[in-house]
Amino acid sequence: MNLAGWTLAELLPLFAGGSLAITAMYLLRMRRRQLQVPFAALWRQVTRESDTRKLWRKLRRVLSWLLQIALLALLCLALGDPRPESWLREPSTLAIVIDRSASMAGAAGDASPGDPTATRPSRLDLARLRARAELLALGPVDRALVIAAGNEVSVPGPLSRDPEPLLRGLDGLAAQPGEADLTRALALARSALAGQPGARILVLTDGALDDAGAAALAACTAVPEDMPEGAAAPVPGDLPEETSAVRCQVAGFPGPTDSVAITAFAARRYPEDREHIEVLAEVWNLGDVAVEVVLDVAADGLSVGRLPLSLGPGERRTEVLRDLDAARTRLVAQLSPGPGSTAAALGPDRDDRAFAIVPPLRPFRVVLLTDGTDLFLEAALLTLQDHIQLTGIGPAQVAGNPALAEADLVVIDLGAAPLPSPLPPGDLVIFDPARLPDSPSPVQGAGELARPFLTEQALGHPLLDGVVFKDVNLARGTRLAAEPGDQVLVRSLGEPIALLRRQTGQDDASGARTIVAFGFDPRQTDLPLRTAFPNLVANLVTFFEQSRPGFVASVAVGAARPLAVAELGLVAEGLGAVEVAGPEPEDLALTDALPIARVPVDRGIFRLRAREPGIYRVRALDGPNAGAEVLLAVNQASAAASDLHDRLADLALPPAAVAGEPPTPLPVGEGPLWTLILLAVVALVTLEWATYHRRVTV
Amino acid sequence: MAWWKRSAPEPAPATRPPSPQAGEAGDVFDDAFLARLELLQVVARRLFRGRQRAERKTRKVGSGLEFADHREYSPGDDIRNLDWNVLMRLGQSLIRLYEEDEDLPIRVAIDVSASMQTSGGGKLRYAQQIAAALSYVGLANLDRVGLTCMSRKVHTSLPAVRGKGRIFRVFEFLRQAPRGGATDLRAACSRLAAESVQPGLTIVLSDFYDMDGAFDGLNLLRFRKHEPIAIQVLDPVEVHPETSGLRGDVSLLDCEGGEPRDVTLSPATLRAYAEAHERFCQTLASNCRARGIPYFRAEIDQPFDALVLRMFRLGGLLR
Repeated sequence: MNLAGWTLAELLPLFAGGSLAITAMYLLRMRRRQLQVPFAALWRQVTRESDTRKLWRKLRRVLSWLLQIALLALLCLALGDPRPESWLREPSTLAIVIDRSASMAGAAGDASPGDPTATRPSRLDLARLRARAELLALGPVDRALVIAAGNEVSVPGPLSRDPEPLLRGLDGLAAQPGEADLTRALALARSALAGQPGARILVLTDGALDDAGAAALAACTAVPEDMPEGAAAPVPGDLPEETSAVRCQVAGFPGPTDSVAITAFAARRYPEDREHIEVLAEVWNLGDVAVEVVLDVAADGLSVGRLPLSLGPGERRTEVLRDLDAARTRLVAQLSPGPGSTAAALGPDRDDRAFAIVPPLRPFRVVLLTDGTDLFLEAALLTLQDHIQLTGIGPAQVAGNPALAEADLVVIDLGAAPLPSPLPPGDLVIFDPARLPDSPSPVQGAGELARPFLTEQALGHPLLDGVVFKDVNLARGTRLAAEPGDQVLVRSLGEPIALLRRQTGQDDASGARTIVAFGFDPRQTDLPLRTAFPNLVANLVTFFEQSRPGFVASVAVGAARPLAVAELGLVAEGLGAVEVAGPEPEDLALTDALPIARVPVDRGIFRLRAREPGIYRVRALDGPNAGAEVLLAVNQASAAASDLHDRLADLALPPAAVAGEPPTPLPVGEGPLWTLILLAVVALVTLEWATYHRRVTV
Repeated sequence: MAWWKRSAPEPAPATRPPSPQAGEAGDVFDDAFLARLELLQVVARRLFRGRQRAERKTRKVGSGLEFADHREYSPGDDIRNLDWNVLMRLGQSLIRLYEEDEDLPIRVAIDVSASMQTSGGGKLRYAQQIAAALSYVGLANLDRVGLTCMSRKVHTSLPAVRGKGRIFRVFEFLRQAPRGGATDLRAACSRLAAESVQPGLTIVLSDFYDMDGAFDGLNLLRFRKHEPIAIQVLDPVEVHPETSGLRGDVSLLDCEGGEPRDVTLSPATLRAYAEAHERFCQTLASNCRARGIPYFRAEIDQPFDALVLRMFRLGGLLR
């Protein structure tokens, strides 16, 4: 205890003088007030009993004197402004980084068998208790902040001397799906503590970290060889110099490692039957013991599959539910404990549930680039209008036509007209590509063929299913120059006259496409008159239609996941913003309101901020698809987030980086102690007044 | 509340002359008071209608018409009262005694000691009002009414007067009578009985704050053939001091003199005083009732005329 106000040398004379004055006043004979009464004899009779208590009255007088001396002593002490030793230490600044990843929702404590029905505190509960103890132990000059490291980093308690807002921030903390972004959280903590006296970072985690988090924690707690005990740990070189004086400690809250998670869940339409789907689910036992689980899959609330699974330690099982009706679009997979297993064996609940949506069936966009003279081809395509979107374009309309860029397939049948240069992007079917010299076609001609015969065809190729070229008469044709990797579909006396070429992109996969080239002009054959021609056209459309991916993977939770609107079925051209609503639980009515966020779209890419698993609605706000709405499934789907194994031991933290027991809170809160002393004086005076020296008179 | 007034130590209160300008007795008998007396007299007349005026039977045996008793003949007795029938039949000389009809005088004795003057003299003023009211009713009934102001040091009397018009002498006497001194009811009543030529109805108005002689004075009057009536005038603040809010260390000084007494007033002490005061009054009342002395308790917050009427109805004080 130290005196921050008056010194002891100043207080002692004051106390001595005051005591003498009080004593002198008590030694003087007390002059009582005189009251005139009409019947003193009766008063004498009444007060005769009190005469026997004169000794007590004398003692009470002594007690009163002692009370006055005690009041004077307290007042002198208040003038001295006493402060405990702990308040006078050097100020410190504490940054508490709490891991709020999905694994922190797991049970804490030993994995020893006990009452399976007993409720055990979660790892996050223990971390919050530790953080609370740290905050309550802060001195009046200390400051602290609370940083929550989930799939995104937040600051529930900003830097403050007052622990109340920090404690309130702790109360609202809950585990988030996904891994903890410890890298950013520690960087934020170092930045906040830059230049602060006595800076210290305390990381409260269960040790179930991903590789990035483990690396960040190792870098934060690393102590160089020449660093003295208790000194600050260094920081990565990219941080400012003033942030280097930050000591980093870790407090672990491990627990049982039993965890079973759905690490993948998706649905796709069958390429050959788009009205039916198959569902893929991957279940992973991340614990150390075998477990029996049951996987239930429901589509729009209706159960479509139930699979009992027996998983050994670390075993991962992929299951496929086949031939499901695509009419129901929202799929939910749920894990539940099987016979002989308990819910505790599944670990945290959040990874026991996954969502998927059936990819939308959108029309296949076909552009026919024609001079308008091949009505047979147009007619054959028009018969497929029920599931394709056909657009006809003349040679003069090629330049800058957006339909060519968005088309899934471009059929070029220009007869004697030259091919457009450059050719449209995407998949192509070109009739007689090398008819003219200097053709921009990637399939070059290797010479003219007069009245060729189609003598050989690739039997069994899906493009030629139900197509027979035998006895087809051709007025002329072009021998095609096949390259390695090309599939020759039709030959004329051994010379390629129709082939399939798959082109890869230059630098990435964006330029990849498939080209089917026929070395003849349909107008110069009798093929359109045969039944093989519409079959060939239908096979071409089906082939390209089924070659497109129909599998829509779910999106992982996270702060900002970049997504292409085109992958969701929205037109990127002219789309400036989308509205993201959700997550949408399966039992939500369509009329219920969802949290809505407006997200800008930049060059077809928007960043999805999905912190909770579920089904989200993405609605185009402008562009040609304004108002169109698509669904998007978001899942945790991360084995690292579901893995509950403690990795702190693997990090080999230095002893100085391991936080010890929680500090003991100060017995007296913040604020000057002399105010409490004055309150005590007031209480004593009130007590004395109420019990002895009551002076209420009439 | 002024009863608990602070005062400097002072010698025992001495007799002091009345001061009409002090606002005590000077304001007591104003026109409003007279109007209330008139009303009171009318009510009293209605209560005792049909009775003959001044026709009160005394216990005195004398020359009346109604036979009362016999006694032995003694020389000097009027021989006309000898019962000849008894003499002839039994041979005994007995004198016939007759009840004598005469006026019963009313005397109102007012305690004017210092204890009656606390609380601004409220008790004394109240006693004077009652005395004046009873006197007026008596004078209106053609009774002879006399007044006496008494304490240990004061004893002054107004001779018995008759007739309604003498009420102003009564007022004047009450105004001018000295006051002060200690309460000594035994001595005052003894002197009152000695002065009275003819015993009669004696109404004693006092607080009876006399631990030893409160009842002895009344009993002495009764012994001297008076018909005493006790009216104890009390101040509610004295009856219930615990409501005064007084606390703390004080020195109690009797207004009639004596050594001061240091006490610490607490709610318990004040409650004990109230209980002791109540016991004192109950003892006085029971003693009076045991000996056939009418007792009335008058607290000064009650209207005096209400008290007088209550006395008329319940006690038969005025017939």
